[in-house]
Amino acid sequence: MEFKLEAHRIVSISLGKIYNSRVQRGGIKLHKNLLVSLVLRSARQVYLSDPCPGLYLAGPAGTPAPPPQQPGEPAAGPPAGWGEPPPPAARAAWPEPERPAVPDAPWVGGAEPTATVTGAADAPQGRAADAAEAAWGRVEGPREAAARGAGSPAGGSDAFPEAPQAARRPCACPSGGEDRRGAAAASPGADRRCAPPPSADESPAPPAVCPRKRGAAGVGGGPAGCPAPGSTPLKKPRRNLEEQPGREEDDGAEEMETGNVANLISIFGSSFSGLLRKSSGGGREEEEGEESGPEAAEPGQICCDKPVLRDMNPWSTAIVAF
Amino acid sequence: MVHILPPLNPCQTYCPLITAPQPRTDIISTVEFNHTGELLATGDKGGRVVIFQREQESKNQVHRRGEYNVYSTFQSHEPEFDYLKSLEIEEKINKIRWLPQQNAAYFLLSTNDKTVKLWKVSERDKRPEGYNLKDEEGRLRDPATITTLRVPVLRPMDLMVEATPRRVFANAHTYHINSISVNSDYETYMSADDLRINLWNFEITNQSFNIVDIKPANMEELTEVITAAEFHPHHCNTFVYSSSKGTIRLCDMRASALCDRHTKFFEEPEDPSNRSFFSEIISSISDVKFSHSGRYIMTRDYLTVKVWDLNMENRPIETYQVHDYLRSKLCSLYENDCIFDKFECVWNGSDSVIMTGSYNNFFRMFDRNTKRDVTLEASRENSKPRAILKPRKVCVGGKRRKDEISVDSLDFSKKILHTAWHPSENIIAVAATNNLYIFQDKVN
Repeated sequence: MEFKLEAHRIVSISLGKIYNSRVQRGGIKLHKNLLVSLVLRSARQVYLSDPCPGLYLAGPAGTPAPPPQQPGEPAAGPPAGWGEPPPPAARAAWPEPERPAVPDAPWVGGAEPTATVTGAADAPQGRAADAAEAAWGRVEGPREAAARGAGSPAGGSDAFPEAPQAARRPCACPSGGEDRRGAAAASPGADRRCAPPPSADESPAPPAVCPRKRGAAGVGGGPAGCPAPGSTPLKKPRRNLEEQPGREEDDGAEEMETGNVANLISIFGSSFSGLLRKSSGGGREEEEGEESGPEAAEPGQICCDKPVLRDMNPWSTAIVAF
Repeated sequence: MVHILPPLNPCQTYCPLITAPQPRTDIISTVEFNHTGELLATGDKGGRVVIFQREQESKNQVHRRGEYNVYSTFQSHEPEFDYLKSLEIEEKINKIRWLPQQNAAYFLLSTNDKTVKLWKVSERDKRPEGYNLKDEEGRLRDPATITTLRVPVLRPMDLMVEATPRRVFANAHTYHINSISVNSDYETYMSADDLRINLWNFEITNQSFNIVDIKPANMEELTEVITAAEFHPHHCNTFVYSSSKGTIRLCDMRASALCDRHTKFFEEPEDPSNRSFFSEIISSISDVKFSHSGRYIMTRDYLTVKVWDLNMENRPIETYQVHDYLRSKLCSLYENDCIFDKFECVWNGSDSVIMTGSYNNFFRMFDRNTKRDVTLEASRENSKPRAILKPRKVCVGGKRRKDEISVDSLDFSKKILHTAWHPSENIIAVAATNNLYIFQDKVN
């Protein structure tokens, strides 16, 4: 599980490097980008093959190559919060109206609002986030979750109290506090992400833990119709969400990595799509005179992005969407 | 005895282009002794070449034997712009290679990412005087005023060292040139970029032969690039090139015009227990060097130096750990880009000792015979003239002794990528960012 975490981080860093290489003096270095793309591929393989589900891995707080400790990230690091049982007050913070535009999909891959994970937002929910994180440890994969069907609100909330007592699996999300919140919140309606384990615990059901629908825009969305008892704490995350510029929405792809892509795209900005456009044959693909045709762009372009992006179909799909 | 040279300084006699010194442009990017060791050339990120010359020994100053002083400085490459691709071409000198001396002048090749240049460095210590048609200042004289004829004579003048570009080999590389190597026939040389190697004749600048081309038809299938290439020191038909996958190919140009098929293929099987996300990066070879004997090749990857016997392809005969303590830090080194640093390696004149650089301004020497190794540091504090370099040690855990340095205290911005060893004596040149250090054996 740490591998998945690590893999995600490495993917973020790698994409940041590829992006930054565009503006480096002297043109894009083929060798370095090739190595970065190999790392990207390895990390992606690990990420996909790791059976640990439920990783709403938030990207770094707005930086392409984020340091392990995100600034303004109060719930720093997964291990920090794991020991804390979710306080009831925090749980009350969970319920939130669902963002209307967010499609109702399982695993709406935590399009983590990376840049949005602000300290302010997280602070009040810090502990809840931690709890959510712990809850994530028990969240099951999309398929299993789907199989279970949408949990009841109580069921969703059961994940909460359950988690801290449950063996804390080290597959927690690293940073985005909001991710964790969203992740942990089980949607009464349609959220199949956070299917609580059948042995949902004995803890009293917390007051309407409103599951959070996470779209590409990510955090803060709860399923529609979810009561919001703790409206006051909710305003903060919602505000942050609205403050987010350029939060694009995912098309609700089933897979996790799409959300992460959208997440990462928020790091790179909309110009990331330009990255793809150039490498996919538009723009300047000329090389020395005699070579032409379908060859990928010369070092002046992003030679390696093609193999990279092509390998990551969901990624490129999401990117193209922008 | 230890000499320290000050940071590079465009103070020398001949400087065709004066540029305002900026800290970044002084970063040394290549160091190379010539074939006799009399001259030492350095190239920097600003496109300049500075050549040092060894002082002749004098009886009066025995302890100043063999000091290197600046001999010539010139601007080799300028930043350029490729309009077709909207790319800036860096002026950084990637490699310098000397030609063997055949007359009074010195010749060297210097290259940036795209263009190789042949420079002639010559001395002028006389100048003609007594022209008939020109006066002393060079102004033309009215022929009508000339009543007598005289023969111009050469009179001594202050020594002037001039560097002139004799050949410019351009427009032959689509990718970034990483190596140049002069052939033992002294008539040809090769230049290698990420995907191709070209063979040039010194006299012909508008054509080159492509001898290696590993570019796939579909760039998406690209899996490896060429990282370094070198000609065999004695066999003019043989050369090697290393790849980003940790392999070395030896090619014979007699076999075919395009040496896409190697004659020998050197690869060590990967140790599966060391597998990580970064296995591929750290196995990428950053430098390959033939031994002076031509019998061995040495390769440098991120953590090790390996010596290969040309007669054995399946594994190296020797492997030296340069800084294995970094193996657990690869992720951080990936983040800060240090994992992409390309360290070079060098043989000493007798092929008995190999040297390579590390971080924190450390460099390492390995004695192949005694199997002893030493870590030394190139820094101003430790390098007073005539002081003896003290061996350094990196503490890899456990109790740190007094003069050891812990891995976490290493300064990764101080890296020694480029070093050179005098061809016959124990004099080494070590480039530490923008400082050049020259060390030599203690002389009793």
